[in-house]
Parts: sequence; structure tokens; C-alpha cells
Amino acid sequence: MIRVLRGLITTAILLTLWAGIVWIFDLPHYILPGPERVISVLWTRPELFVHHALITAAEISAGLALGGIFGLAVACLIADSPRLQRWTMPALVISQALPVFALAPILMLWLGYGFASKLAMTTLIVFFPVTAATLSGFRALPSSWSDTITALRGQRLRIFWQVRFPLALPFAGSGLRIAASVAPIGAVVGEWMGSAGGLGYLMLHANGRGQTDVLFAALVVLCGLALLIWGITNHLTRSLNRYQAFD
Amino acid sequence: MLTIRQLDLSYPGYPPLATIDWSIVRGQHVALLGRSGVGKSTLLKALLETPKPPQIQCETTRIAYMAQSPVLLPWLSARDNVMLGARLRGERSSETAEIADALLDRVGLSGLAARAGGQLSGGQKSRVALARCLFEEAELVLLDEPFAGLDRSTRIDMAELCRELLVDQTVILVTHDPRDASDWLEAAWVLSAQQLSGPLDLQAFQDDRELIRALDGAL
Repeated sequence: MIRVLRGLITTAILLTLWAGIVWIFDLPHYILPGPERVISVLWTRPELFVHHALITAAEISAGLALGGIFGLAVACLIADSPRLQRWTMPALVISQALPVFALAPILMLWLGYGFASKLAMTTLIVFFPVTAATLSGFRALPSSWSDTITALRGQRLRIFWQVRFPLALPFAGSGLRIAASVAPIGAVVGEWMGSAGGLGYLMLHANGRGQTDVLFAALVVLCGLALLIWGITNHLTRSLNRYQAFD
Repeated sequence: MLTIRQLDLSYPGYPPLATIDWSIVRGQHVALLGRSGVGKSTLLKALLETPKPPQIQCETTRIAYMAQSPVLLPWLSARDNVMLGARLRGERSSETAEIADALLDRVGLSGLAARAGGQLSGGQKSRVALARCLFEEAELVLLDEPFAGLDRSTRIDMAELCRELLVDQTVILVTHDPRDASDWLEAAWVLSAQQLSGPLDLQAFQDDRELIRALDGAL
């Protein structure tokens, strides 16, 4: 209840500031439309925004799922081999250092203008935080734990699946939460580069036609969508904390 | 049971160990004292390794280890934590579960076999860890400050339990305060950065100053 109230108060303050700026500087609506214009376009054409928001939401969610699985798998594969980590880490870092904008045209060329290229971009953004966080989870095992496990003389594979993997899961979860906050970048950039739907497409389209109110409305919807996806991810990954055994 | 000749060791991330000679007779219960950083855990790590360094001759491969913090998987039941070794070796059966339950009874946790490790108190976790040591049916038991982090009365209870249940095993108890277990241990060795000295009479440590002198290598 308090959280809802806090959200409402923050929104009210932002809207007032926004309206105030438009009023004080007497800005034309094609530069900065007032909140009333944006709300009105959202109110009169909800199907337009829902349609495009669903496309973007599908791209982000699928990217999060695929990037999460991929990130976890890569971390598991290289967890036990410092040599493999030394070989793969530079490639993983480069995959993050290259801006997704730079890769977008190539991915478009290879995967086309449809869903696949957006999925690839979102996956690319998501998997690294998950891999890095999971790896740090594997490394976080205190010596008292590894000595205890050594003394039990277990089989390597069983130790991995029954002890080390579950213990790394809370770390993977925090990686996925970080990834969820940046995942929309991949989807929206992909849509800007070329697409037939999605909030990024809608923004570009509205911008070209001077519909600044639609552009802003799409931005507002994107903010809401990003918060929603982050919230859901946050909620889902909290259940991994039952595997939390040490700080 | 255990003979160490001219061992000197270092592991990445562990303090180096002075060159030591040590031998323990089967069935002995001894304390290993030393300030932090003199290599007590380095020595335990070497004892747990397979294969061991050639300077260590140990009559058994059945060694159990209890760490400073009770290492329990919070999502597994107390029972499954006790038989973790069997699970990890692929030897789990209904029989092992019965043994685990019986051991939980012996450490005073009857009725808590199904409770998740994460929902046990600190003292209960230590008891589960002790039951796991017993489950391993080891001949040599290494206890690495198992009473650290427990309140005074729980420490006394735990020491009493160890005395009762670890009668047949050879035990090395790493501790800062041998008085916790003085009626159970037979002798103490003191490890310093330069040497391992002992056996020392535990009665000598009834006084704090004597304990400090011992830790400083002055006895």
C-alpha cells in the first residue's frame, strides 16, 4: 500500500514538473507535449500501444529466458576450468564491450528484420551479467565448505549438481535481476534498426511524422514495461534465495 | 595412527606451515592449539587431501572433518545433511536414512530429521554436523574449532556430546580454548610459526596467562 502511494506521489510530482516546464517556457507541443496530450493519446488509442508493447515485451522476455539459460550454461561449463575461463573471458568481455548499436546492422543482415534479430540482441545483453554473477557464485565457496565436501569423498558430478550448482543459483538470480534492467535496450535498439512493430518502431514511426505526443506516450509505456519486467524477474528470482547458504 | 615427518607446506590462500614432526597414537584425543595464521587449517587441509603429501603417513583413509561453521545445505533436511556423504558417493538407500535418523537421535535431535537445514538453530546445526561426522564411520576425526560461534552453554553441551560419541575414534581438535574440552582431551600440541611443541598437559592451561604463554611458544 505504501509502495503504491509512493509511486503515485512520485508520478504526480513528475507530471507536475513536466506540465510546469511546458507552461513556463511556453513550449510548442511538437517539441515537448504536455502530460495532458500524452495521456489523451494513450486514452484514445490504447490498442495501438498494447499491440506494440506486447511485441516488445515478447522480445524482452524471450531474450531474458534465452540469455539466462545460455549464461548459466556457459558459467557451468567453464566453472571448473581456470584455463577455459582464461580463454573464453576475453571473448565474453568483448561481446559486452562492443555496443549493441554496432552489432545491430550485422545481426539484421544475418537474422532479418523480424523477431530473431531482436531476440539475439537482447540475449547478447542478458547473458554476460548472468555468466559473470554465476561464476562469482561458484568461486564464492568458503574453504570450510570445500574442505568439508572434500572430506566426504563424493563423485565430482554429484558434488557439482547437488552442492555447487544450487549454491551458485542465488548469484545467478542477482545476475538476472541486473540483466532484466538493461534487457529493454537490446529489444528497442533492434526495433530502431529495422522492424515492423514494437515500441521502438512506434517511436521512430511517430518521430518521422511529427507525432511527438505518440513518441512520448510510447516512451511512458516502455518505462512501465521495463518496470513490470524487472518486477516479475525480481519476484521469480527471489525463490532462488532458498539456496543461499553463506554471504 | 598418524605420523608426520619433516612436513613443510604451503597452499595458495592458506598460511604457510613451519616444518613439523608429529605422531598420534590410535584412539588418542588431542587438541591442536595455535594463534590464527600459524597454519592449523593448512595442516588439516593436507590431512584431508588424497593423495596426501609423502611426509604424512596415515593408517586410514576414513577421515571425517567438521568445520568451524556447520556446513549444512539449507534446502536439505537434517537427515539428508547427515547422509550427505552417502548422497555424494551415490550410496543413498533406505538403510542410510535409518542410520542418519538414529544418529540424529544420539545427538539429541529426535523428531527434527525432516526439518530443513536452514531452519535449525546454530546449536542444532552443530549437532547435525557432528552426526554427519559420525555417519562417515571415520577412524580419524578432525574438528576445526567446531565450538566457535556457539554460546558458552551450547559449547559445553557439544564438548560433552563429542566426549560421549567420539570414544572409539582418533580425534584432533583444533581450538583456541582447550578448556572447553579439557575433561575429554588427553594432551595438547601447540603450533607456532616456528614449530610444533607437545604433548603438553592440559592442566597447564587452566590459567589464561599459561594459555597465552603456550600459544607464544614459551612453554
